Amino acid sequence: MKATTTAQAIYGRPTSAKRIETGVFWLLRLCTYFVLLCAAFIFWDIGAKGGAVIFKSSAPFINVPFLTEAPETLNVFDYQGGKRTMGDRAFRQFKAEHEAELKGVPVETYVYSAGGIFPNIAGTVLLVLGSMLIALVLGVLSAIYLSEYATDGPFIRFLRLAIINLAGVPSIVFGLFGFGLFVIAFDFGVSLLAGWLTLAFMVLPVIITASEEALKAVPKGYREASLALGATKLQTIRNNVLPYALPGILTSSVLAIARVAGETAPMMFTAAFVMRDELPWQVQRWTEFVFQGVMALPYHIYVVASKIPQNEYTRDVQYGTAFVFLFTVAAIAMTAVILRQRLRKKYQW
Amino acid sequence: MVTLAPMPEPTVTPSAAPRPVAVAPAAPANPAARAVIEIDDVDFNYGAARALHDITLNIPERQVTAFIGPSGCGKSTLLRCLNRMNDLIDGARVSAGQIRIDGVDINDPRVDIIELRKRVGMVFQKSNPFPKSIYENITYGLRIQGQKSKARLDEVVERSLRGAALWDEVKDRLHESALGMSGGQQQRLCIARAIAVEPEIILMDEPCSALDPIATAKVEELIHELKKQFTIVIVTHNMQQAARCSDRTAFFYLGKLVEYADTRTIFMNPANPQTEAYVSGRFG
Amino acid sequence: MSATTENQPLPRLATREVLLRKRRGWFFGMTGDQVVKYLFQGNAAVSIIVLGLITFTIFKDAVGFIPMNHANLAVYRLAGLEYVDLYREQVTAHSTMSRYLADIRARQLDILMQQEGLTAAAAMARLAAFDDFANKFADTINEQETLLGTMSDLVTAVKERQKVAEDLMVARQNLLGGMQGAAPDRAAQLQKDAAAIQIEVIDFKAEIQPVLALRPELVAANASQIAAMREIAAQAPKFADAELSRRMGKFQGFVQGYFKEVEVIAGRMAAWDQAKPIGWLEAFNAFAFGRKWVTASFWQDWYGIIPLLSGSLLIAFLALLIALPLGVAAAIYVNQVARPAEQKFIKPYIEFISAIPSVVLGFFGIAMLGETLRRVSQIPALDWVPGFPMAERLNATTAACLLALMAIPTIFSLAEDAINNVPRSFKEASFALGATRLQTIIHITVPAALSGIMAAILLGFGRVVGETMVVLLCAGNRIQTPDLASGLGVIFQPVHTMTGIIAQEMGEVVRNSIHYRALFMVGVVLFLISLLINWLAQKIVRRYRISIG
Repeated sequence: MKATTTAQAIYGRPTSAKRIETGVFWLLRLCTYFVLLCAAFIFWDIGAKGGAVIFKSSAPFINVPFLTEAPETLNVFDYQGGKRTMGDRAFRQFKAEHEAELKGVPVETYVYSAGGIFPNIAGTVLLVLGSMLIALVLGVLSAIYLSEYATDGPFIRFLRLAIINLAGVPSIVFGLFGFGLFVIAFDFGVSLLAGWLTLAFMVLPVIITASEEALKAVPKGYREASLALGATKLQTIRNNVLPYALPGILTSSVLAIARVAGETAPMMFTAAFVMRDELPWQVQRWTEFVFQGVMALPYHIYVVASKIPQNEYTRDVQYGTAFVFLFTVAAIAMTAVILRQRLRKKYQW
Repeated sequence: MVTLAPMPEPTVTPSAAPRPVAVAPAAPANPAARAVIEIDDVDFNYGAARALHDITLNIPERQVTAFIGPSGCGKSTLLRCLNRMNDLIDGARVSAGQIRIDGVDINDPRVDIIELRKRVGMVFQKSNPFPKSIYENITYGLRIQGQKSKARLDEVVERSLRGAALWDEVKDRLHESALGMSGGQQQRLCIARAIAVEPEIILMDEPCSALDPIATAKVEELIHELKKQFTIVIVTHNMQQAARCSDRTAFFYLGKLVEYADTRTIFMNPANPQTEAYVSGRFG
Repeated sequence: MSATTENQPLPRLATREVLLRKRRGWFFGMTGDQVVKYLFQGNAAVSIIVLGLITFTIFKDAVGFIPMNHANLAVYRLAGLEYVDLYREQVTAHSTMSRYLADIRARQLDILMQQEGLTAAAAMARLAAFDDFANKFADTINEQETLLGTMSDLVTAVKERQKVAEDLMVARQNLLGGMQGAAPDRAAQLQKDAAAIQIEVIDFKAEIQPVLALRPELVAANASQIAAMREIAAQAPKFADAELSRRMGKFQGFVQGYFKEVEVIAGRMAAWDQAKPIGWLEAFNAFAFGRKWVTASFWQDWYGIIPLLSGSLLIAFLALLIALPLGVAAAIYVNQVARPAEQKFIKPYIEFISAIPSVVLGFFGIAMLGETLRRVSQIPALDWVPGFPMAERLNATTAACLLALMAIPTIFSLAEDAINNVPRSFKEASFALGATRLQTIIHITVPAALSGIMAAILLGFGRVVGETMVVLLCAGNRIQTPDLASGLGVIFQPVHTMTGIIAQEMGEVVRNSIHYRALFMVGVVLFLISLLINWLAQKIVRRYRISIG
């Protein structure tokens, strides 16, 4: 065997070790991009098919009725040699006008396949806003306690254990809990209030953890300097800790919004109705407002995806709803992810 | 499992030959000065670990007292006891003895810690201006005390910045962020912020360790000026600094007070061989 | 305050006075800061309270299940349903044999038409003898079926009456309960109504007698059946095809086995004791080890968690099997191999995947993935894959694919963190010894991060087991324990899951009924699983910290 000089070795030819390395790295790369591709395909599929429902080629370019009307039953029937499709209200009127011609004409009906999803959007927004408000107040205050006040002891250890375990509880168990406690034991009924509390408790651990992280990222020097100037602890937190942690808390919370909006299981027992004629604000008193159930987008997707038979008429409402929901949540999450990256760069203390 | 080879010890550059120390305090320390801080047989614990053993020393009014000693000798711990900053650390407590300021035991449960900290200001090792404007930094202490008068705040800002020899440099950008200043300016801002609340005592925890020589010189000059008004306690790693700007020096080693005397005595004629070894640069 | 006084510096108090100034105790003797602290602390305690409430709520509704199931099983025995079910086993065993014959016939028909090229009519003609045999064979169960029907009618009638009696009991209790706080005349009316309710007390011992009286007939029927079957089995047609004659041989074996089973069942029926009490443990075991989940049945409801638990676990393991290599590979790639620009793109992207709502994924499974997978499974070239072609488009694998996508971000980010936390010096030491990047990853980085990665896997598993919407929409929802006998093809069977059953049935159950409580029992199981996973993950992470530190 010819001895190689150091120089030869350094400039060396590809050895088998190197070739294996390249191969393995390509495999890893392949796995990674496969995951990305799968996700991209889902976005593409729902984006393309749902986009066709939401966007129009002519002005106003957006399917306005789909976003502003309530779901209706679709009626399909033959009329003057052609197939006509009509929502329930339009059909009733049409039937009154053309009673004679429609006699004996078979009408097929498809539930929820006409109209739009406005009440669902409104209900989802209400659910998310309310639960986030509750979760933020509880979560941020808890995080302040954990990061600023807590001293190690049995209480704190127990508290951390509770938070960690709460984070792992499956959403359906939260649903059972909300149903058993708020809907039945407290007799709130299927209502916004029950949904708010259930969802808020569900994201609470996420918010606490994220907020605590943001608070801990504020340099200790700020606290010390403030205290050394004779500020009380509360003054220090209010003036010199919370303001700097707030952006971090908020961006993490935005990600939590995506989670709240996306969790269907808890809201289907506690807050969501399959169908409701009134809009949430059509109530007499405010107490009725919090004790009313609402329609919600994710539950609507579940209902239209599982309960009604698959056919060309239902496909539109399915993909349209999924599109609106997915891309709203995705936009929220995207904003949070981007904001977070910016913030990480900006706040490097 | 992977077995890992033991990591090589970091190589240590041997310290240079013993440095000659220039000691030139402006005036001999006034032995008659009243002791404003009396530390009496103090033991201090972090949980079960004892960080300070039986410390006794009196700190005279309107003089600069320096705490020196190698890392981990307890000098910063003692400093942080003086305004009870150690309360922030779990399990840290004065386990025996008393620290009295103006005759009041500061660890007495009746003592209002907020008032204590207003009276005993502190400047930290790492300059820590708040990410606010210079003006807001200076007025922070007064605002949280409820001072709202704009005229009074303006006056305090000018006085404090002049006091910290910073006024001429920043008077035109009082409302710009303090984070835009240089390191030395930031540290002097922190000093200005501390004197804005008119404390009696200012504690400085290695205030120049992160500064370049020029900025250090400015801060030292400032310390000279400040001692006319305030009692100053400074912790430093830098023996020349202690020699240059302190009136009295305490040398700590392994949590014990080894020697406490006039700075001149400590550096020129130390009584204890450990002190001598340290000040002549043979260890630490 | 006037400006002039403000502008004057406040008179300086002596330090002594200031320090000892009496503190402002303004709220039950607490200072503002203390009050605030307790406020925050109280807030933080909400987490503990919520966890406590969850535990309390679901356990409270779940524990009632045991006594109710106890009563349920007691009626099953007392009314004689259990006795009849013993006999039903015999009938079921017989019909299994008939189905086996039908299977043989189908194969033979296939052979005749495909290989010998006969027309359908001709093939049928050739099978006439076999059909005759099969029909005769099937007829041998007729008598038993009639008897089974008679007994079923008798016992269901008793059970029905018991149900009515129970309902009336509840109604009477409601009336009596309504008396509290009611106006006197109203209360009197309620009491009268309650007294008017006639509740039948069923004497199960007497009611079972007509059923037991049929025993001689059962014995006689069995004897004549066995004789008839012997005779018919002796005339079984023979097949030229080797495979088919092997099957016919197997069939003869079944028949012999059946004879033995008849005896065993007859013995068990004779030994059956109506008065034997149901143990509490039995009521619990019927849940924990029950292999049937049958609800709203006219015959008997069973609440056994095994089919649901096994479905959940099957899907979870499948999902992890997919997610684990992908998630860990992506974590290693991003942390160790990828260029910074790639990292900046991939990390938020994967984080972003976790934001896809599960219901949308489930919808995608129904609308797209299920059908696509089935099409793929129908490609003839893939016939060798066990379980292909799939019978159902919605099955364990469809759900597992989507769940894997949900678990990947969890596994990825935790594993990436773990890899990131491996001290740089380890890596540098390895490089300095001349190791390649791959060698360093395999021998240093991954082993050092292993416990972190394991925790990631556990938490990913937790996320998958607890996920609801995807399995509800895509798992096929057939309540059946996955049949492991079908080999690897088991992964293409439709299954039902614990989360799915709660979501599906919770909306339709009567509050506080046994079914309602059974669903809470399932919730308890899920809750305990999540606690267990968390505990394990914590344990692993803690050990890992020590090993690094």
